[in-house]
Amino acid sequence: MKTTSVLSAHLIDEIKALPARYPQPRSAVMPALDLAQEELGYLTPEAMTEVATALQLDAGYVEGVATFYTLFHLEPIGKHRFYMCTNLSCTLRGAEELVEHLRGAIGVHEAGEVSKDGLFSYEEVECMGACEYAPMCRVDHRYHYDLTAEKVDGLVAERRSPAAAAPLSSSPLSPTLPPERGEGDKPKRAPKKKKADG
Amino acid sequence: MAEQRGTVGGPVLTEWFAKADLHTLDVYESLGGYSALRKVVTTMTAQQVIDEVKISGLRGRGGADFPTAMKWSFVPKDHPGPKYIVVNADESEPGSAKDRYLMENSPHALIEGAAIASFAIGGHQAWIYIRGEYDLPYEMLRDAIAEAHAKGYLGDHPFGSDHALDVRLYRGHGAYICGEETALLESLEGKRAQPRSRPPFPAVKGAWGLPTAVNNVETLSTVPWIIRHGGAEYASRGTEKAKGTRMVTVSGDVQKPGNYEIEIGVTYRDIIEGLAGGMLSGRDLKVFWPGGSSAKVLPASMIDTSTDLDGLKALGTMGGSGGIIVMDDSHCVVKAAARLLRFYAHESCGKCTPCRVGGNWAVRTYDRILANEGSQLELGILERVSDGLQNGRCLCGLGDAAGWVIESTMRHFHDEYEDHCLRHTCNVGKALAHA
Amino acid sequence: MPDINLTIDGHKVTVPAGTLIVEAAKTVGIEIPVFCYHHKLDPVGACRLCLVDFSPGPPRPQTACTTPVAEGMVVRTQSAMAVQARADILEFELVNHPLDCPVCDKGGECPLQDFTFRHGYPTSRIDGPRLHFKKPIPLSENIALDRERCVLCYRCTRYYDEIAWEQELTVAQRGVQSFITSQFDQPLQSNFSGNIIDLCPVGALTSRVWRFESRPWDMTHTESVCSKCAVGCNTTMWQRRGQLVRITSRENDDIDEGWICDRGRFDYTDVNEPSRLRTPTIRGAKSTWADALAATAGGIKGKGAKLGISLPADLTNEEAFLFRRLLDGPLKGAKVKMHGRTAIPAPAGPTMPIKEIDDARVIVVVASDIENDVPIIDLRVKKAVSKRGAKLIVIYPEGVDLDRNPHTVHIRNAKGAAAEEVRKLSSHELLQNPGGPVAILFGDGHGSEDMNDLASACGALAEQVGGKEMPLYRATNERGALALGVAGWDSLDGVEALLSWGPPPTAGVPTSVRFLAAWDHLPRDGYDKAAVVLPATTFAERQGSYTNLEGTVQFLRPPVAINPPLKEAWEVLNELGAALGLELDYPGIFPIQRDAAAKTPALAALAQTPSPEPVTGPVLVGPAHP
Repeated sequence: MKTTSVLSAHLIDEIKALPARYPQPRSAVMPALDLAQEELGYLTPEAMTEVATALQLDAGYVEGVATFYTLFHLEPIGKHRFYMCTNLSCTLRGAEELVEHLRGAIGVHEAGEVSKDGLFSYEEVECMGACEYAPMCRVDHRYHYDLTAEKVDGLVAERRSPAAAAPLSSSPLSPTLPPERGEGDKPKRAPKKKKADG
Repeated sequence: MAEQRGTVGGPVLTEWFAKADLHTLDVYESLGGYSALRKVVTTMTAQQVIDEVKISGLRGRGGADFPTAMKWSFVPKDHPGPKYIVVNADESEPGSAKDRYLMENSPHALIEGAAIASFAIGGHQAWIYIRGEYDLPYEMLRDAIAEAHAKGYLGDHPFGSDHALDVRLYRGHGAYICGEETALLESLEGKRAQPRSRPPFPAVKGAWGLPTAVNNVETLSTVPWIIRHGGAEYASRGTEKAKGTRMVTVSGDVQKPGNYEIEIGVTYRDIIEGLAGGMLSGRDLKVFWPGGSSAKVLPASMIDTSTDLDGLKALGTMGGSGGIIVMDDSHCVVKAAARLLRFYAHESCGKCTPCRVGGNWAVRTYDRILANEGSQLELGILERVSDGLQNGRCLCGLGDAAGWVIESTMRHFHDEYEDHCLRHTCNVGKALAHA
Repeated sequence: MPDINLTIDGHKVTVPAGTLIVEAAKTVGIEIPVFCYHHKLDPVGACRLCLVDFSPGPPRPQTACTTPVAEGMVVRTQSAMAVQARADILEFELVNHPLDCPVCDKGGECPLQDFTFRHGYPTSRIDGPRLHFKKPIPLSENIALDRERCVLCYRCTRYYDEIAWEQELTVAQRGVQSFITSQFDQPLQSNFSGNIIDLCPVGALTSRVWRFESRPWDMTHTESVCSKCAVGCNTTMWQRRGQLVRITSRENDDIDEGWICDRGRFDYTDVNEPSRLRTPTIRGAKSTWADALAATAGGIKGKGAKLGISLPADLTNEEAFLFRRLLDGPLKGAKVKMHGRTAIPAPAGPTMPIKEIDDARVIVVVASDIENDVPIIDLRVKKAVSKRGAKLIVIYPEGVDLDRNPHTVHIRNAKGAAAEEVRKLSSHELLQNPGGPVAILFGDGHGSEDMNDLASACGALAEQVGGKEMPLYRATNERGALALGVAGWDSLDGVEALLSWGPPPTAGVPTSVRFLAAWDHLPRDGYDKAAVVLPATTFAERQGSYTNLEGTVQFLRPPVAINPPLKEAWEVLNELGAALGLELDYPGIFPIQRDAAAKTPALAALAQTPSPEPVTGPVLVGPAHP
């Protein structure tokens, strides 16, 4: 056993508290991996093993789950990850050219590669369910619509500027926990119907 | 700010969508929201709820088209212990965005519908399984659930009744297969999302091994309206066999892509040329997918086809999840099919042989064809793979859908396939992306 | 269960309700090919190879492995629809298969080969490059994985999860990129890992111990029984040219259900050790058997309590019986110590049969880490819990693998206090109204428990809750040796002469020993100076029988022929007896067995010995075949 862990002690406590929220404890695997990924940026074997230990599972089980789902990253990713839809509706509207443009804009040669400054990476993804705004992408937990080369440049530039050091979305995505009944956390007002910087 | 693209102020689902801040409980309630849940928990029995929905003729809007009341009635009434409603909010079908549209505009309608459904099956908890990419709808639902709890509309005594109701959220993490209900249940249980062999059906052994009804977002969002206005009122819309209204997402080469609420029975011409404003200027319709990428394609000549579900079934296709992908004559069908096969191969869970191997075999064959290395052999392989993917060979519908893409595009556009395979040319002549 | 009548390919079939079509077909000799289906695993319907069509039913082929029979059902396995569906699936399976059958250890006993031969297309339409994976991957020092040959039937991972309750073997990635892997490429740790080799229907999981040793049709196989512990799992032993080259499981539902542990499967290479002892020696010099046995007799005769006899854990009943006769005669008074036995006393009467664990509603496991002590019983307990809903109570000082089930009630006793905890159990809530049989499995805590106290506490509990007891003996034939009174527990300290039958005493040869005679199969330190060393047979060459922990007598059959000058163990004891002046003139092993049966009620089964002749012959269908 290693003496130092890759996940913070406080996070491990949080993970240990997860199983109680579900009818059966294994449901906690994905929310737990989410927390780990949020803290580390991506999931290392060590992190997955620690998640497994905290949930009293074999590491192999966690590996099987983590490698199945595309939103779990097993390699380092850029601080800002562009999820570029290239499924049919977006491709009909020019998504492939946009991906090529994005590669140039962030200075990478292929999907998954992290830009030298560590800020950017991208992947081509399947339909994200916003086909009426094709072509579209997701970055920093928000959708961006009706993409053009200029809009892509804008998204990149905003994230290069110092002001973008903090994540764009006003409320960084909180852990994927269901609101607990009677927990008494004040209902936040839902955001205005501003969906995205379109 | 992205403008809403789709129906606002439609007959049922989008009735209140023109109203600002509909996503807040105050506005939703001021328009009549939660009156259905109040009525259900304070004045109705579970059976009465099921009966009312039965009268409405409401059918599942996730693609399977199964009568909703019947699905609820399959959940054993005498089962001791928990029973669940699981909401399929894993909308991932290429071309379909309507569930997102509904959740972003009116999250409370889904919550109210899920709570009513829980009551109808004698359960107390509904789990909304929402795809991981839907950050904004997730946050809106999270906040809306908290609002409903704060008001006491969810909780141990909703509207003073003794039937505890709760709605919870679970996020997906990127897997199209989770739209298949048993794969979704596996995922909800923290497993690799691989579909289960049925029987047992979810109604008997569903989430966490307990009786469960899995319903789509649109289906449940319709339920409060049915309770408010009565099943008969809903049934008065649509066609004799396919009642009510439904959402469609129109995308691709049209003037006004968007999510439209239609009365079932209108034609695809009404939708594409009417609601969606017709084709982009100077181009002609070539082909459309009538119900998501998994529905067999219809060529332009069939634009007058009705959205009536039985009619579509007779043509061998389906209304599916309502995603209408419209492609004009500047695009190559072979390339489009190749793109979709890449999707199905990428999203195959890998559990059953035909889908796991067949999707990938098709992709490699399309790759050769598009690299001008095709021949008669490749045409034969595509037919072979398409056949091997369909006809009940696969464990779930994903493989069939992949096969349908190959089969239906080959059936209607065999000349384009022959151009590519036998003559190594593309007479459409333009890359897909030249929009 | 009521019986169901149906028709399969025109044959009338009557089977119990709930039977799957694939099993019903077997009863009339109809093969429905399967990869993912295995009768000991939950059906999943993944490989789709078992597609058949039936009416009433949908107009599409359906999986025979997930569909139970129904009254009046008409199943067609040979309709055009079904035949084509299965051929298509087989063709899909071969799209990425490397077809390296000529160098594949599975070749010749491979269901993928056999099914393609019997159910596949006669011609190949497969084109182009295949998918490639890095290979072979060592999953452990015993098991190799070839991901290109894998058909992803998930038998191995399902076995791990369902049967062994472990997930160190898993599926990573998804779709066509899915592959089997050990967790983060660490070597498999499980004591039950080897069963995945038998389960694998293709050459994806192969034994590294046996890798590239021989073609299956080059071997003969013999039905035998494992000699590594007291469970008595049934095995098939495979030999080629006088070498034991493989051990596989042999399903016996009363005992092992088709599983063996890794010790039983892989721990056999000593049989083929080139340094095996082949001739008797006297003080390091080769001798004849007659001289060696005379020297032995001379050294141990008339020593009384100054003689020590060390006996191996896998002493056969026949050897034990002959030792009984020697101890009643010329070796009377000798101190006897049996290797690896527990402190559990001989049973007063019949004990609970292993298979009855299946029906227990509550299982109590006391003072034994059954995963290591009696491994295959561990799997039986897991099955009762996870497939039949039994409740589980464990009394053990340390963590055990049964703790993997979150509902296991684990009472951690202080060492030596197991009996005390057992006495408290009668008021445990799980035992108040168990709703069926209670199984009480108890060991000896490897010597930490007072066995008289613990045995009586377990007996009392059994009486209170209507339970049955299963003493968990560890030594292979401890129960047989107990019945014959040779499972000694004496200290050998201070003896002057030692007859070491089998490996040397665990604590070493006592320093007081002046005369050492050893019957052993491997050279050991000190044997060059020992008075006499007699070459011994191993479990692979020996005839005889074991009484397992539940009292069942099973026969060891030799896959490997004994070549002179090696002698059968009974023959050596026979001649030693004669040299000691005792009339031991059995002409073969049968008379010994008949005599032992007549004199020892617990060994009555020996009187009806089945033929101990090895069953040999070419094997056309390997162990993974359903």
